[in-house]
Amino acid sequence: MNKQQEFVLRAIEERDVRFIRLWFTDVLGSLKSVAIAPAELEGAFTEGIGFDGSAIEGFARVHEADMLALPDASTFQLLPWRGDSPYSARMFCDIAMPDGSPSYADPRYVLKRALGKAADMGFTFYTHPEIEFYLFKGKPALGERPVPVDDSGFFDHTAQGGGQDFRREVITMLESMGISVEFSHHEGGPGQQEIDLRYADALTMADNIMTFRTVVREVALGSGQWASFMPKPFSDQPGSAMHTHVSLFEGDENAFFESGAEYQLSKVGRAFIAGVLHHTPEITAVTNQWVNSYKRLAWGGEAPNHVSWGHNNRSALVRVPRYKPNKGGSTRVELRAIDSACNPYLVYALSLAAGLKGIENDYPLPPEAEDDVWGLSDNERKALGISPLPRNLDEAIRTMDESELVAETLGEQVFEFFLRNKRAEWQDYRSQVTQFELDRLLPLL
Amino acid sequence: MVSSRSGAQNRATSRLKDLGFDDAGVADLVLQSADVDATLDGLDMLVEVRANLPTELATDEVLANRLIAALGVSRAVAEFWRRHPECIGDVAEGSPLVEHLDEESLRAFMLHAKEPNELRVRYQRILSVIAALDAAKERNFVHISRALSDIAVATLGAALAIALSNEPDAAHVRLAVMAMGKTGGRELNYISDVDVIFVHDVVSDFDANKGNQIATRLATSVITMCGEHSVEGTIWEVDPNLRPEGKNGPLTRTLTSHIAYYERWASTWEFQALLKARFAAGDRELAADYLAALQPMVWEASRRDDFVKDVRAMRARVIDNIPAAQRGRQLKLGSGGLRDVEFAVQLLQLVHGRADGEVRSPNTLHALGALTERGYVGRDDGAALAQSYEFLRTFEHRIQMYRMQRTHLVPEDSEDLTRIGRSMGFNRDSAHALTQAWQEHRRVVSSLHEKIFFRPLLEAVAAIPTDDLTLSAEAAEERFHALGYRDPKGAIAHIASLTAGVSRRASIQKSLLPAMLQWFSESPNPDAGLLAFRRISDELGDSHWYLRKLRDEGSGAQQLAKLLSSSAYVTDLIVRAPDSVAMLGEEDEFKPLGAQALSQRMSSAVKRHHSFSSAIKAIRRVRRRELARISMSDVLGSLSVAEVGEALSALTAATLAGALAAAESEWRRTRGELPTRMAIVLMGRLGGHEMGYSSDADVMFVHDPTPEMGDAASATACAQWMAQHLRASLAEAGQDPPLEVDADLRPEGKNGPLVRTLSSYGSYYAKWSDTWEAQALLRAEAVVGNAEVCAAFTELINPLRYPSGGLDEKEVREIRRIKARVETERLPRGADPATHLKLGRGGLADVEWTIQLLQMQYAHEVPGLRTTRTLDALDAAAGADLLSHDDVEALKEAWIMVSRIRNGVVLWRNKPAESLVTDPNDLVGVAHVLGLGQENSGPMVNDYKKATRRARKVVEKVFYG
Repeated sequence: MNKQQEFVLRAIEERDVRFIRLWFTDVLGSLKSVAIAPAELEGAFTEGIGFDGSAIEGFARVHEADMLALPDASTFQLLPWRGDSPYSARMFCDIAMPDGSPSYADPRYVLKRALGKAADMGFTFYTHPEIEFYLFKGKPALGERPVPVDDSGFFDHTAQGGGQDFRREVITMLESMGISVEFSHHEGGPGQQEIDLRYADALTMADNIMTFRTVVREVALGSGQWASFMPKPFSDQPGSAMHTHVSLFEGDENAFFESGAEYQLSKVGRAFIAGVLHHTPEITAVTNQWVNSYKRLAWGGEAPNHVSWGHNNRSALVRVPRYKPNKGGSTRVELRAIDSACNPYLVYALSLAAGLKGIENDYPLPPEAEDDVWGLSDNERKALGISPLPRNLDEAIRTMDESELVAETLGEQVFEFFLRNKRAEWQDYRSQVTQFELDRLLPLL
Repeated sequence: MVSSRSGAQNRATSRLKDLGFDDAGVADLVLQSADVDATLDGLDMLVEVRANLPTELATDEVLANRLIAALGVSRAVAEFWRRHPECIGDVAEGSPLVEHLDEESLRAFMLHAKEPNELRVRYQRILSVIAALDAAKERNFVHISRALSDIAVATLGAALAIALSNEPDAAHVRLAVMAMGKTGGRELNYISDVDVIFVHDVVSDFDANKGNQIATRLATSVITMCGEHSVEGTIWEVDPNLRPEGKNGPLTRTLTSHIAYYERWASTWEFQALLKARFAAGDRELAADYLAALQPMVWEASRRDDFVKDVRAMRARVIDNIPAAQRGRQLKLGSGGLRDVEFAVQLLQLVHGRADGEVRSPNTLHALGALTERGYVGRDDGAALAQSYEFLRTFEHRIQMYRMQRTHLVPEDSEDLTRIGRSMGFNRDSAHALTQAWQEHRRVVSSLHEKIFFRPLLEAVAAIPTDDLTLSAEAAEERFHALGYRDPKGAIAHIASLTAGVSRRASIQKSLLPAMLQWFSESPNPDAGLLAFRRISDELGDSHWYLRKLRDEGSGAQQLAKLLSSSAYVTDLIVRAPDSVAMLGEEDEFKPLGAQALSQRMSSAVKRHHSFSSAIKAIRRVRRRELARISMSDVLGSLSVAEVGEALSALTAATLAGALAAAESEWRRTRGELPTRMAIVLMGRLGGHEMGYSSDADVMFVHDPTPEMGDAASATACAQWMAQHLRASLAEAGQDPPLEVDADLRPEGKNGPLVRTLSSYGSYYAKWSDTWEAQALLRAEAVVGNAEVCAAFTELINPLRYPSGGLDEKEVREIRRIKARVETERLPRGADPATHLKLGRGGLADVEWTIQLLQMQYAHEVPGLRTTRTLDALDAAAGADLLSHDDVEALKEAWIMVSRIRNGVVLWRNKPAESLVTDPNDLVGVAHVLGLGQENSGPMVNDYKKATRRARKVVEKVFYG
């Protein structure tokens, strides 16, 4: 038992915590929770809590089901939405095999391995996501069109609609759980919100994103609303992205920064972008993991659909934001394909791995895209060497299937499960008759 | 000899005279010095810069003794005195520097240095004094290494003082330098990195960030000052990498930040390192707070969950990391090296220091003394270890002194060895005597390491009369736990039984067990090893050869320990017939016998025995012995998976041949001449020379009636009788492991007759044969039984399996379709398609079907493809450009991986598996038995899946097209 764990035990006693939720994440990015009583916690710290891994997507097969959840005491937080005393609290867990060795199925371990590789090269990886989502009036019934809480647009200050209060309450809760919020505003679509989390190391951030999604849903439920991270709920409105600003640090130095270089972007930064660009088609099935994800990418506007980078070019896949003078520490690049319904552990692990590959092999950075990539014709793009992203889940899966980088980074177990699960999703989707077909064809045929 | 020595002496004396040294006492000292020529060169150098040196030496005997001894062992000291002749007086009689070599005086002396060069000069003055006292044997190793550590912390203090005087904002921070490693333990070398950790704090409310910057500047400046080269040379490198987060962490942190790190992140080795921490320089109060806050954590480290695993990995690093070129010359690393002693002492400190405050000294020799005193290490062991440690450290000092060079390698040059040998008192044949003494100490350390952990346990358990304190029951259990035993109480019971009584066996086992227990603990299941050892020992009792094998404690005992704790399969074979223990320790015994020697042994077994059943018994005994040989050498790591396959298949073929010969002679004895000539066709993995430990023997029986001996019916009856008897008698349960003979691949499978005549095979294949049957014949090897029948059968099937013109499209389609159906239908319910060994994605069937399709298509034009061996066929396909090099490598890698796992599982748990095992204990065991290291079971599974996934891609491309 270390001090951190003793601190948790003491806090539980002092704050009269009655339930402790042990959180972890399945391979597809859903938060899972096991509740235990305070009396069980000491055992959980020393030996872990056993659970049936076969009940969790992608963890284990039936006959190898025993797994352990080992709570990470440094992630202890009281849960604000459960009201005051008696409290509930949560901790994130690492997943282990019965002999205590880490489970290759645990997305947190996937990310830890990737971060370990970066650390071997001397880097730490920081991320800063801008998470978009929609807020609806009540939970939409099956088959019904969801009703947004307002009709406002980008940055609108709306008098009616609960968006403003809602964001304030979310932010208060996040801050009370030690998650700093950078920025929040109304997004482009009706009822669409954006909240930016202050940058942190990638593992903490992935934990934070999981917490964030839960907080947002809880707050919405508390006021009779419904929050959704679905990538593209409306055909005619923008989808919900999770643009993420990333940077590598070497000790206290930002490795992307080089004073006097173009866009103050160092050689390491350029090679990182080159790596991300080169490998993006392989990792798209993970950054955009649902059939629905590709509807967002297809819509255009702020969503990228081609492999390109640019300086302040919002149609590009990778954007290098404007440099703020004297802020060498803040040099970063923005990855814009990722959507809000991803598994953040896997997405950050793969983005990092792609970037590191670029650094390791010194990939050259292709020329910058200066135009609106959407506005170009196919042949123009071809001439500029800009290739398309996978156009749907099927293409993305096929590209990922060929990727050693993805297999290496995810580990064979997650790689295999993920492909199997996504093939099944595509298979189910393929046989669906959609509203689009009914609307177009029934009147004609 | 005599004349040449005196010749050398004369030359030396006359050179001395030339230099102006004519005192006889001085001449004697020079002749006794470690290296006469080096000493003369040194005097030559010094007299040039200090003209009255001859007089000084003649009048000050003490000075002469120290100076001459120092010149004989260190060029570096000679050169320092040449640069600074005024410092020669430092070693004169009554010199204050000699009198005051304690820490406080040294600190005061060093603090006079006001700039870096002065610091270097003062440091080297002291270093020369220490070297001179050492060379003149006025101080022993303990004093010398303590003085070297004290001058190191004094130097750090002075360097920090200089840094502070150059730092305008110094008043805002408190900085302490903690000495770690050998400096912390007051046991430093002449030249090695000085390990430190920096800790700082701001004074009152000063800004924390700025405080951090100031502290970092100070720390950097200390490091640079000590490590920089100038005309005055360098001091040593300051190594700050033991700090939290190592190289990636900030150079210095506040105490709070240190505490937070050690509470949350530190791993076992970092606590082990912390054991050595002591104050070196700077703010004493802060250093005291640092030690008060962190040292208690050191003594809780042994209760961490991963302690056992971490310790194992740390020890593996200690003994594994020697570059090949240095093996045999390393003093520090490797089994029997200095690090080995230090590691053992620290491990025992971590385990017992928690409850016993007396054993917490950071100094290796002190700690070892205390551990011995308190009964945690046997008295003789402790004394011997201390002696060897001192010898090895002194040796290391002498090596480093000559040029003040950082090295832990024993020089190869015989001049160097002679000089060092003489300096350590080996006056005759110095180089050789030194090397021999070194090897002896190394052996002592290495063998003590094997016993030091367990000898006191044994004494506690077996109530061996001893003068020492015995371990308490709690301490004994704690130690068993820390060393990987899961059931300490059970272990204690086994030991009690093994050592009970006064028999010769009990006394041999008493002396052997400490080492055996250590060897068991290097495997994942030490408890099982100990239990099996007890069973075998009960069984073999007092047989002479057994006790002799063990008594010598040679490689035999160590191999036995490894086998018993690593392989249930081998353990079972040994327990069935403990005489296989006799093979251990004999390198020649571990080569598989090979087909010819085996068939000789089998046929002589058949000839010796007249009845069928006793002949079969003899055959099975030969087989069991050979199985033991193959599996033992496999576990001990000397066979590849292909070699195992060859050996097991050859053994099975010889067994079948022996059994067939026995059946034939039984027929002749009871019923007269044989009416038919019989042969056995080897099929499947057996035919391919690729059997595993769990493979059945796939065969087909073929015979050719001899018309003059009777009608066809009686010939068939005879063949049938022989086949049935042979199968039943080999498969019968008994003391020796049974062999299942499986004939299901014969025409019409289970519904067809067990034996067929050659002509019946001919007409069957002419009429009915399907493509899959021709495919199965690719693995057919007719080599057992009547040679003419074998040759005729081979001729019969060659056109089927190597069809001229290859396969037509329809046949290819048919094979592909069958394979696709097999993939979906044959896989057992619930089996994981990714890890099923035979039918899984990229598994054995995938690779084999792929190459077999190519064989049938191209064997008529590529002779290399006409082989029953999978790996050979793959190489032939690559050679004929039927497959790309990369594709072949992917297929081979998967096939070898799967085959190794399949064998590894059987070796580990003596039970085959259909799929890659999933039980974590099994995975750890398989990783261990395959030599991958027990900590690598996770990566092993990942590698398995990777190799098979890649192979599957090739299969989809090549086989399915």
